[in-house]
Amino acid sequence: MNNIYLPHLAEIKQIIEESPDTRTFRLAFRDRDTADRFTFNAGQFAEYSAFGDGESTFCIASSPTNREFIECSFKVYGKVTQSLQRLNTGDTIGIRGPYGNWFPLKELKGRNLLFIAGGIGMAPVRCVIENVLDWRDDYGSLTIIYGARSVNDIIYKDKVKEWKSRSDVKTVITVDPGGETSSWDGEVGFVPAVVEKTKPSSENTSVIMCGPPVMIKFTMPVLEKIGFSGSDIYTTLENRMKCGLGKCGRCNIGNVYVCKDGPVFTYEQIRNLPQEF
Amino acid sequence: MDELRRFARELLLKKEVAAVIGYEQVGEARTRPVVITDPDECRRLVLNEYCLNNLVVYLNRARIKALARSKEGIRKLAVVAKPCDIRSIVALIQENQIRRENLMILSMNCHGVVRDFGCEFNGDNLAAKCISCNTQSSTYADKSFGEVREIPKFTGKLEYDLSEIEQLPPSKRMEFFREQFDKCIKCYACRAVCPLCYCQRCITDKTIPRWIESSSHSRGNFAWNIVRALHLSGRCTGCGECERACPMDIPLSLLNRKMAMKSKELFGYESGKSTDNPTLVGSYDQKDSDELFM
Amino acid sequence: MTEEKLILKEDLLRICDDVIKKGDTLLAPGKSEYVIVKDVSEIKLDPEALPTKISFKSYVFPKSEPVLYYKRSKNDVTLIDADVNGRKIVVLGAKPCDTGSIDIMKDLFNWDYRDEFFNLRAKHFIMIGMMCKTHDEYCFCTSVGCSPVSENGSDLFLIPLSDKEFALRIVTEKGREFIEPYFRFLCDADTKRTEEVLSAAKNPETAFDPDEVHEWLGRNFESPKWDGIGEVCLSCAQCAFACPVCHCFDIVDEDYSYSEGRRMKNWDGCQFGHFTLHASGHNPRDIQSKRYRQRINHKFRYYVDKFGKILCTGCGRCSRGCPVSIDIKEIVSNCKD
Repeated sequence: MNNIYLPHLAEIKQIIEESPDTRTFRLAFRDRDTADRFTFNAGQFAEYSAFGDGESTFCIASSPTNREFIECSFKVYGKVTQSLQRLNTGDTIGIRGPYGNWFPLKELKGRNLLFIAGGIGMAPVRCVIENVLDWRDDYGSLTIIYGARSVNDIIYKDKVKEWKSRSDVKTVITVDPGGETSSWDGEVGFVPAVVEKTKPSSENTSVIMCGPPVMIKFTMPVLEKIGFSGSDIYTTLENRMKCGLGKCGRCNIGNVYVCKDGPVFTYEQIRNLPQEF
Repeated sequence: MDELRRFARELLLKKEVAAVIGYEQVGEARTRPVVITDPDECRRLVLNEYCLNNLVVYLNRARIKALARSKEGIRKLAVVAKPCDIRSIVALIQENQIRRENLMILSMNCHGVVRDFGCEFNGDNLAAKCISCNTQSSTYADKSFGEVREIPKFTGKLEYDLSEIEQLPPSKRMEFFREQFDKCIKCYACRAVCPLCYCQRCITDKTIPRWIESSSHSRGNFAWNIVRALHLSGRCTGCGECERACPMDIPLSLLNRKMAMKSKELFGYESGKSTDNPTLVGSYDQKDSDELFM
Repeated sequence: MTEEKLILKEDLLRICDDVIKKGDTLLAPGKSEYVIVKDVSEIKLDPEALPTKISFKSYVFPKSEPVLYYKRSKNDVTLIDADVNGRKIVVLGAKPCDTGSIDIMKDLFNWDYRDEFFNLRAKHFIMIGMMCKTHDEYCFCTSVGCSPVSENGSDLFLIPLSDKEFALRIVTEKGREFIEPYFRFLCDADTKRTEEVLSAAKNPETAFDPDEVHEWLGRNFESPKWDGIGEVCLSCAQCAFACPVCHCFDIVDEDYSYSEGRRMKNWDGCQFGHFTLHASGHNPRDIQSKRYRQRINHKFRYYVDKFGKILCTGCGRCSRGCPVSIDIKEIVSNCKD
């Protein structure tokens, strides 16, 4: 019997303490065959098992072109993430996936890309950035605007450093007022204000934006003012999920199953959904 | 009934209460809880043998509480409650969940209710809790409606007899309850209708750690049903709503009644009798029986 | 075309007896649920009985079932696949409002990813439906495309001609395979009598037009009607669990020792507040009115849009069993301007 609820087993190869409450796991499948067959696109998610405590849904944060390992990042919030946090390198977790749709990177070739991320919303955006950098020549200008609560809360510090050092990427990092340190050389301010200040051009540009609902809510009007239309802005919805397979009925928004029809939506699509997320 | 409607209407018109929680008729042998804020809607209110629900459960609902906060500073709610339902109010006052001064209790001189909707009201179909009822009216009511009439003599047959089950040897008793609890589907209707199950977050919904398995297999069902009974011991006022709500016909009242009998026997305590008493579980006396300590 | 035969009740019971003796599961409507028949004397076959309090759903989609077992050792985990017992289940005398339920849920359990736990069980169902000769104020099968004489979902269909005889219709190939070994019990049909009985069916009055409801729901996501229901509804899952087609579930891990446990798939209900609650505390359907709106929309709009079927059979169980007398027929009938 083909059991759709059966996860693959993977070993935690490395644990990266991104911030006081966020961790990244570098994972390698136990089974070579699975590792060879497991392919995904930027934006897709998986169900990660902490056996004994259940499953939790996170996006895959590493690039699809990386065939050595996959990475996921999670913020410690509930039962499963607390349980994952207790695991060490060498321990085994379960992975089901990849599930859901993805950012249409092939269709976006030739365009300029503006990445906006807030908090743990950086995880899916990082996957796209890395994927785009793999095919750097296929895209126009790249701008990254990333906001964290404080300097301490910035995740993927090495990656951020790398992007900042590149001349073909414009990287703006900001922290919420009060979150800066004396040596902080980035921006101070909330993401919407920083976007307004950065004034990215909407000309031939698509936006990939992930972050807390409040950030998205206040950044949208700014983007519209700049001249972006809803169909040029891609984001992900983060509803509670259990199965990830379009069955358990938890993530529905209207007749849309976020786990199958999403998690990637354009802002225009989201506007047409029942406002219940 | 007309008197109740007039009275309730006046309360709303004079802005003495923010809302009236009562019963409306929906079909010949069925009523439904209704929350009325518009004085003219008071004509929907009824009082009869089909007023089965214990409306006290609504007093602790966030939505209903919000009504009493949002409307022009009116803090009071009016609730239609049978004398036996008023015992739940008393218990909630004892437990500091509601304030007497924020309540207008509209009661009835009760002569019994049917065991379930759709039944004709007669001796055969009398609700179990009415069989030996001795509180046809309550002193806690602000106003009582209807005339005092006798409760019909019970002529039906109860499916389960508590004294018979008490006589069973422990292994048989265990078998009986295991069989009953196995039917449970964990819809939590018993919890939802119970006025005393007011926890913001029920222990069954807590996951860190998970105290009670959420699966409805034997073990999970047993854990839930026993915890439910224990959490209500010395508190349950015997309104019987849990048993009526159960879609699987589990005789939940058996356990509740047994615990109530124990409370009375060991501590002389009856839940919901007086607002002056401290709660059973909230008080300790050196003379208390230690039979329950092992 | 459907083939029709005549069968005496006593012969039908003989077939049932044979099913039980063979060790297959025979399910029949009991007092409050479908029960496994141990002896044919328990079988009532009463066309005038109302639907049981809950449907036979748990036999195709169990209220709680393991999907996998795990064993933890120091660093490692071993997984053991759960085994589905794909035993034959014969449902005798199912109401037309129940027989179609598996087909409705099948679409959900098979779009793209196939849930073989459901499929394996469904595959082994032999559905013997029976014409319904009663209805109460909560029945509305005729409003959702079903009827007391609907053969939809049945492999075999019984039409009670008298206390002792039934017309037996062979509806599907699966039904034929089941009945073939018992052909000796079947006599020639009296189709005229069958037609007479069928035409005397007591149809519940049509309460609403599902197309109009679908259209209204599309325009009334925000409507004060939902607030009123939200005040009365107490957020239990009686309605969802009694429903023959509600299918939402939860997945939880359960340790039964320090190192071993299993992953369970359990019924869950959209009326529970924690159903959509995020770990962060955010809840998209935070109040009861939103949850009830979801229930009605899911049944009469979303599922129709997604799978072309109404997620309701009109059995009225949710209303009959609702502790606070919320009547879905009344609510849906009022889904109009």
